[in-house]
Amino acid sequence: MKRSITALLAAGGLAFVLANTARAEELTIFWAEWDPANYLQELVNDYTKETGVKVTVETTPWSDFQTKTFREFAAKGTAYDMVVGDSQWLGAGSTQGHYVDLTDFFQKHNLEKAFLPATVAGYAEYPIGSHKYWAIPLEGDANGWAYRKDWFEDPKEKTAFKAKYGYELGVPKDYKQMRDIAEFFHRPNEKRYGIAIYTDNSYDAIAMGVEQTIFSYGGELGHYATYKVNGIINSKEAVQGLEAYHELYKFTPPGWGKAFFLEDNQAITEGLAAMSMNFFAFFPALANPTTNPHASGTGFFANPAGPTGAHFAALGGQGISIVSYSKKRDAAMKFLEWFVKDSTQKKWGELGGYTCSKAILESQEFRKATPYNEAFYQSMLMVKDFWATPEYAELLDQLNRHLYPYIVDGKGTAKEALDGVDADWTTTFKKYKRYAQ
Amino acid sequence: MITKLDAKSAAMARGLSDLSIRNLFIIPTIAFLIIFNIFPLIYSLGYSFYDYSAAGSAPPVFVGLGNYRELLASPYIWSNFWITAKYVIVSVGGQMLVGFGIAVLLNRAIPFKGLITTLLLLPMMMSAAVVGLFWQLLYSPSWGPINYIFGLGDFPWLSDPVAALYAVAITDIWMWSPFVMLLSLAGLSAVPKHLYEAAAIDRASGWFTFSRITLPLVAPLLLIALIFRTMEAFKTFDIAYVMSVQPTTELIAIRLYKLAFQEWQTGRSCALAYIVLIMVLAITNIYVKYLNQVKAR
Amino acid sequence: MAVVRTPAERIRDRLAVAAVIAITIVMLAPIYWIASTAFKPRSLATTVPPTVFFKPEITPFIKLFTKRVQLLRPVDKATYDAAPWWERLIYDGGERVLKVGGDPQLSAYPNRFLNSLIVAISSTFLAVAMGTITAYGFSRFRIAGEPDLLFFILSTRMLPPVVVAIPMFLMYRQVGLVDTHLGLIILYTAFNLSFSVWLMKGFIDEIPKEYEEAALVDGYTRLQAFLKIVIPESSTGIAATAVFCFITAWNEYAFALMMTNRNAQTAPPFIPAQLGSGLTDWTTIAAGSALFLLPVALFTFFLRNNLLRGVTFGAIRK
Repeated sequence: MKRSITALLAAGGLAFVLANTARAEELTIFWAEWDPANYLQELVNDYTKETGVKVTVETTPWSDFQTKTFREFAAKGTAYDMVVGDSQWLGAGSTQGHYVDLTDFFQKHNLEKAFLPATVAGYAEYPIGSHKYWAIPLEGDANGWAYRKDWFEDPKEKTAFKAKYGYELGVPKDYKQMRDIAEFFHRPNEKRYGIAIYTDNSYDAIAMGVEQTIFSYGGELGHYATYKVNGIINSKEAVQGLEAYHELYKFTPPGWGKAFFLEDNQAITEGLAAMSMNFFAFFPALANPTTNPHASGTGFFANPAGPTGAHFAALGGQGISIVSYSKKRDAAMKFLEWFVKDSTQKKWGELGGYTCSKAILESQEFRKATPYNEAFYQSMLMVKDFWATPEYAELLDQLNRHLYPYIVDGKGTAKEALDGVDADWTTTFKKYKRYAQ
Repeated sequence: MITKLDAKSAAMARGLSDLSIRNLFIIPTIAFLIIFNIFPLIYSLGYSFYDYSAAGSAPPVFVGLGNYRELLASPYIWSNFWITAKYVIVSVGGQMLVGFGIAVLLNRAIPFKGLITTLLLLPMMMSAAVVGLFWQLLYSPSWGPINYIFGLGDFPWLSDPVAALYAVAITDIWMWSPFVMLLSLAGLSAVPKHLYEAAAIDRASGWFTFSRITLPLVAPLLLIALIFRTMEAFKTFDIAYVMSVQPTTELIAIRLYKLAFQEWQTGRSCALAYIVLIMVLAITNIYVKYLNQVKAR
Repeated sequence: MAVVRTPAERIRDRLAVAAVIAITIVMLAPIYWIASTAFKPRSLATTVPPTVFFKPEITPFIKLFTKRVQLLRPVDKATYDAAPWWERLIYDGGERVLKVGGDPQLSAYPNRFLNSLIVAISSTFLAVAMGTITAYGFSRFRIAGEPDLLFFILSTRMLPPVVVAIPMFLMYRQVGLVDTHLGLIILYTAFNLSFSVWLMKGFIDEIPKEYEEAALVDGYTRLQAFLKIVIPESSTGIAATAVFCFITAWNEYAFALMMTNRNAQTAPPFIPAQLGSGLTDWTTIAAGSALFLLPVALFTFFLRNNLLRGVTFGAIRK
């Protein structure tokens, strides 16, 4: 037994030494395990061909991405040189010293003009309006809708709909129309349901769905600059928005209490729902005829407006930041300089990444490239984000706690739910001394 | 007697003394466990008295018992404990009954006994995350076989506030009864046959044989199974997290995970962990005392 | 030692066998479903009613071993025709294999599988060996504070890994054990020791001390008595402990995720990661799970006779 232990120790030591020496000319980017990460790996292979620096995109499942990243930050670790972080991490990344300040980089390369303004504000800037930048927008994303175009275009359905509701059946222009359409297509005896929405409350799924409804009803989550939430998160408009979301839940398939991007996509591929919400990053699966038998009949539209004309989409997407504990910050900077080149951004878009470059996004070529790119472009012009403060995770948890019983279990009223959020969020902000009085 | 002593001391003179064997056998393990458990335990205990976030840059702020007070006063935490208690009772109770029941059935000469035993152990051999994933599919009201086979229409197992916890418990029972079954079987197959023969000669009833002969001899192993399954049930995370994350199924381990790794409230999560630890220690203590009683008999 | 079975007992036996068969079918149905899904074409994975009879294919296994992305536009005919048979199956599934300089990229599965084997086998061996000798020590010798020490050993298993993870990670980082096989092996051994000691003590306690006393009288050393008598007598316990420790180490998720990156990570965190391109690929996950089940199942199968042997429970009692 003693010999095996010595052997093990020796092997371990050797492996450790080898692993460390091999990292001389290497960069590691950390992201979540999904197709865009694979596209990124293909893209950075070009960089390796040009410069000889090996760039590895290391991934982990979405559910563990935040945990592993912040674990590494907590240990001030050097495992990752760059991280493609969620927009909500900007607050923590910047104020807690995990991200390298990229403001100068932005000025030098005139990135404020090169990228779509919403993406700069959402994926790079913190605090809002400060013109201080901590990431380069890498993967643009927003929440949008997929729908069964073939059901909508069926003449029989069109006649029946016009008769019942008095206007033409088509892509909903506002939430009232979306509700009508959901009700119209909700036919449990046919195993067809009206709509599929996010309801998973393990992290930020249900929050994304609710926030864009609230935004489109003219409501706000609070005043981001002053942290004031009282009277804002539970304003009349916000309450109406939440009620609208709860109303939509009535038309979801049975057992729809834990739905996120996978379930919502399945709602379309399994022919369950007429409309389904999801982040654009997941729509390629729906446009692919092999994974979606209804691909030819599937269309896409951006989040509809609310009764007052307010029109927003929830911001998703990530930006790439340099980890301040990395030992290769200069090499990472060089990599980013290559990344922001127009030619690189173009290739990134072609490979399948959702580039944030203004020129490319606005081009007809991009907008016509896939069935969902046009809706994606429209959405990126009107994206709005959740709180990006360092304590955003606590805010999310408290939001989930009050929203879920109301939306899924029908307990209480929308006003009560949002009043509860108001109380919890105010307490949290007080705890972190956000109210400088 | 004298011969025995001579032989014994002769043996001792040749080989390792009892004392050195005792030390050699015990000390490395204890030392190993102390090194690998003391540091995390002390670290966690220490931070439970501070307001601290491991991912943040702010220094820890001493709050004494503040974290504990805040947690014990929170109705959400007590709801988590209550849910966990329900879950442990249903799940562990189910595993013990099913596992022991199967073992009793298997405890006879059956063809292919070895193969069947191995097959029945399969549920336990799968990773909890994968089990949760596939059972989620099984329970699905829209495309799951369970509703189809039992004709339950579109009953939403995992979304129903009441049924969800039992659904997860059923999956847990399915997964871990083999554990109890194996331990029970090992114990049952070791009960000396001559005791059964003696009982048969005395025309003892089935129940008498079972309660006076079988059960007491298998009890020590059963109790070990009970102790370990209870400890594990309190820590249940993977299955529940993958299958259902409603407020009514938020087990204490899930809350711990969210507190520690989503909100990065390190101080508070350490405090909660210690509260859970104390509870589990108390419960296990009772079981262990009972186990020692049974052994002494 | 043939025991005559009365007719009543024989009927009971037959009923028991029938019950066992029924239970086996029910318990194994989900596993059969997972295993069969591993051979289904993707469209048949989630049909209602579940598809029982189908034409099996091995595409899921090809997908398991390759790194792929979705096809954004249909593949052109020339590329398709030039591709080998397995790559064409991938194209048919609406995906393409990632290539580096023309060579198809392997997924991380083989590497993770190997890591799992290394870590699980080593830690099981250590846990069983250390556990057995410690259990023997507690069982046969008088140890000061024995109940407390035993309870301490038990308590090492009570804390949820979630909480131990951060300090463990910081400690490992200091000594450079992060993302190493040795790091995980040590962790799993420590984790499994408590169970190993308790279970082995349960079995060893039941072996009458008289056997060893007799051996000592005959001139064996204590160590020889241990090796020649106690070990064989407690082989059931050793087998059971080995099986459980192996299963625990094999399927462990939390520490594997937290303590490793791409060098030493084991398979459990990897298999569910097949989700992520927007749609669950149940067939590939099933393939990964089924393959991953094989080593554990085989290990247990080889030990089945030991598991069922039993221990001489108090055969010689005063």
